[in-house]
Amino acid sequence: MRFLPLLWSGIWRKPGRTILIFLQVSVAFALFGVLQGLKTGVEHAIAAARADLLIVHSRMSFLAESRPLALLEQIKSVPGVKVVIPVDIFRATYQKPTQRLGVVALSPDQDWLSAFTFTIAPEYVTAFQKTRTGALVRVELAKKYGWKVGDRIPLLSNTAQLSGSTDWAFDVVGTFSDSDLGSGIDNILINFAYLDAARLVGRGTVQHFNVAVSDPNLAVTVADEIDRRFANSANETRSESLRELAQSQLQSIGDLNFLIRAIVGAVLVALLFATATMMMQSLRERTPELAVLKTLGFTDRAVFLLILAEAIAVCVAAAAFGLTLARLAFPLAAKFVPGLSMPRQVVEVGLVCAVLVGLVSAAVPAVRAARLEVATALANR
Amino acid sequence: MAILRLNLSGAAQRIGPVLTIVIGVTCAVGVLVSMLAMGAGARRQEMGDVRADRVVVSSVGAQGALSDIPREEAAATRDLPGIRKGTDGEPVVVFESMVPVEGRRRVTGTRIFFPLVGVTPNVTQYRPEIRSTGGRMFQRGLHELIASNPCTRQFTGFEIGDRRSIHGSDWSVVGHFDQGISQQCVVYADVDTIMSTFGRNSYSQVTVMLQSAALYDAFRNAIQANPTLHLEARHESEVVEQGFKQLNAILNFASYFVGTIMAIGATLGAVNSLYAMVDSRRRELATLRAIGFGSGAIVASVLCESILLAIPGALLGGALAWAFFNGLSASPFGYSFQLAVTPSLTVLGMVWALGMGLVGGLLPALRAARVPVTTALRAT
Repeated sequence: MRFLPLLWSGIWRKPGRTILIFLQVSVAFALFGVLQGLKTGVEHAIAAARADLLIVHSRMSFLAESRPLALLEQIKSVPGVKVVIPVDIFRATYQKPTQRLGVVALSPDQDWLSAFTFTIAPEYVTAFQKTRTGALVRVELAKKYGWKVGDRIPLLSNTAQLSGSTDWAFDVVGTFSDSDLGSGIDNILINFAYLDAARLVGRGTVQHFNVAVSDPNLAVTVADEIDRRFANSANETRSESLRELAQSQLQSIGDLNFLIRAIVGAVLVALLFATATMMMQSLRERTPELAVLKTLGFTDRAVFLLILAEAIAVCVAAAAFGLTLARLAFPLAAKFVPGLSMPRQVVEVGLVCAVLVGLVSAAVPAVRAARLEVATALANR
Repeated sequence: MAILRLNLSGAAQRIGPVLTIVIGVTCAVGVLVSMLAMGAGARRQEMGDVRADRVVVSSVGAQGALSDIPREEAAATRDLPGIRKGTDGEPVVVFESMVPVEGRRRVTGTRIFFPLVGVTPNVTQYRPEIRSTGGRMFQRGLHELIASNPCTRQFTGFEIGDRRSIHGSDWSVVGHFDQGISQQCVVYADVDTIMSTFGRNSYSQVTVMLQSAALYDAFRNAIQANPTLHLEARHESEVVEQGFKQLNAILNFASYFVGTIMAIGATLGAVNSLYAMVDSRRRELATLRAIGFGSGAIVASVLCESILLAIPGALLGGALAWAFFNGLSASPFGYSFQLAVTPSLTVLGMVWALGMGLVGGLLPALRAARVPVTTALRAT
């Protein structure tokens, strides 16, 4: 403890240099935090995605074709299936062709929320179930267009009504939020029954079924069983859990892992060089001072530890600052993957790296300082 | 100049600080260039095959390839003015119907969707860049596919003679082709077969080759003037551009975000190294001042030194980026292309390096020029 003042004065011996080193290390770790945060953030998001929620869609793909609504009863009869909700999605625009949104039609039957990742206030749920033309709007979207409960929103779409018109209008009855990263922000929910009765073509078909499984451990078995029932029929299905979907959706970022690793590597190498050089330089200048310390009775070990401690203190403080910056800047960098957050683990790994950088860059100077011969060091003056 | 030579002659002794600057700049430039190379590569691939005389017709307000063009309207486009006649005397109008189909990655075995595009056989006239590399063209009315070579490289099951089960029927791969410089996997099949298999009644888009690019306006106006056509025409380049606008935005943002941060780091490193250099040479600099060199000359010499150290860093960084990444196939966001380290990117990297050298050298240079002659000479 009593060495702290000495440590402190050593750090601030050349304030300009220390501040520059500090900034350099901070910048490096800010970058480290953002990049590593993206990478691990995606991995965590995949792990957090629900494995007990299956999406049963056409074997081809999501967009290619729809499935008949009649499959619902057969899916329900598969053991382990708790809730089955039909879902149809169409695209629409609001006011301008560039203001696109996805209209998700679903049946708010009993327990329907367990088959989705939405969070909705109970009064909105009741209002939605009661209002045939009602729509729940994603919170962010309501904010974007200033929609309030009671508003009637006109939309233009490719889906024609019975009259042939492609204009649709829905009454906003509430808002919802969604914890699934894969779904876009511009979504509204409407009643499937209303859509199905009002549309010109495609009646009685859905794009996919959301299936909640009673036991997450059974999810794979249930998915296989559903697909097996429809195998070799005209309506072949593929069932996948939300986690599997997240995996294939976010994998694209995983493809960049190599690049991220290369960048982080380059940053750390450049940083190591810079700090090591500065430490050497600093040691050269302080040779006489260290010799004096030894004359006063400091052991080789104490001097060695002193130099190491100085380097590590600066590096860790700077890394902490840089990682804080990264935390603040993270939403900006992650705007292409809305909802991603930076995991704690990144901060921990970053601090460990900082200690390593400090250790490695100060190792040679510290050894030299420890081996310093008092007489020669002082004689050089 | 004399001072600069003096500065540089001492560089060998100060190997540490010199390396700090060079390596810092190398890493910053290398990273910036290789990240921008992704954007450049994607762009080169996408825009490389675009032609001004090609027009894409889609239904009004359609997003991406998800448009619906009824058969009658599609047929009517064949009579529009300005369309080039093919070798068979027929207008070069291709009806397309796109369905995403599932494939498996060769290496990882992961699932990925690739576009199965139903086309009329005159696609080879619309896209003269299609070059057959094996097998034959698909036949009308049969469940046959032809696949571009990147498909064979990336996915399993695309060898000639391979059979795939798509939508309950058996399809066989009968030909391979290269499409310009594209590295994307594209699979073509007969459009009528696709539509009957998938129970579709409308095309997803119609592509047209004009007699010349100048006829675009006339063609576009003819579509708009016809009240029975709910269609709109766009240049091929517009459609392509729109298709990868988002990817481009992400790549550019990431490149400059990372590049800027690394440049800041490298600049800080340069400042620190040069400060140290100036400090350790106080007496030398004071001597120079004492024998009559002006402070301007000293500022210039330090700035020159910092820039001269940044340039090899930039060259090295560009060279490393080129060596490691040029031509490397990347497929971020389900998109395949080759990274391209172009000369313009290297020049951009040089400019950044010069900026780093200038900014990094400025403060130390000023300090060097302000070294008080008498105290510096007296000090030991």
